[in-house]
Amino acid sequence: ELPDGGARPNVAQFKQLVVSALRELHGEVGAALPVDVLTYEEKTLSAILRVISSGLVKLWSALTLLGFYQNRRCAFRVLQTSPFLLALSGNSRELVL
Amino acid sequence: MVRFKNRYVLCEVVSEDPRCRQCIEDRAVGLAVRDAIGRVHGDYGLACCSISFTVKYLNAYTGTVLLRCRKDFYRLLCSALPFVRQLESRNQRYPCALHTLHVGGTIRTCQKFLIQYNRRQLLMLLQNCTNEECPRCIQKSLLSCSLTEEQPPSGDEEDDDGIE
Repeated sequence: ELPDGGARPNVAQFKQLVVSALRELHGEVGAALPVDVLTYEEKTLSAILRVISSGLVKLWSALTLLGFYQNRRCAFRVLQTSPFLLALSGNSRELVL
Repeated sequence: MVRFKNRYVLCEVVSEDPRCRQCIEDRAVGLAVRDAIGRVHGDYGLACCSISFTVKYLNAYTGTVLLRCRKDFYRLLCSALPFVRQLESRNQRYPCALHTLHVGGTIRTCQKFLIQYNRRQLLMLLQNCTNEECPRCIQKSLLSCSLTEEQPPSGDEEDDDGIE
């Protein structure tokens, strides 16, 4: 989320942002965590990230504590996490049987 | 039952520069190790390891350093020690490396290990030394070692030692 609308980051800048957040909180070890950006929508600024399950805690904590993107306030909101990619397509709580 | 458990890491400062010996101080080594942890493990690692981090013992002549940290985070500390590349003190930087010798739960185990290690090192150095005088000098200094009897300390001093 970028409350003050400005230049939106593209895919590479988004990944750079994620890696720099990991580097700030968890150092070189965190920055070396293999994180993949599976999809990225510049309009809604939403993305699907993939990370090894042992690195979920580090990634989530780093994203939560990231406050600035190029000196602009920003925030990461995690909408859904799941071990299966297919599960991200729908919210099983609103499933109508 | 509920007490803070610490791990004591015994390291040796290895440097090619002979002037590095005089720059080995507890603050310099502590800052260098903290800086390395901050680089490798970030803010989280730095905060975790700094809870109970001190340089407990330092010997500038042999370059032996004893560090203390919490038991839960000693792996962060040990993994960051190879990344200490230089010691800085009084605006002078000397390249150096830290070799980990022993990790123990108490200072006593580390001291026992250090005594054995020093004995082995002494034997190795004596074998390698070519000068004839060296072994004789060492023999003389070893034989002249003796426990000196100290005056019993005053009551206030003993209390201070107990609190420390």
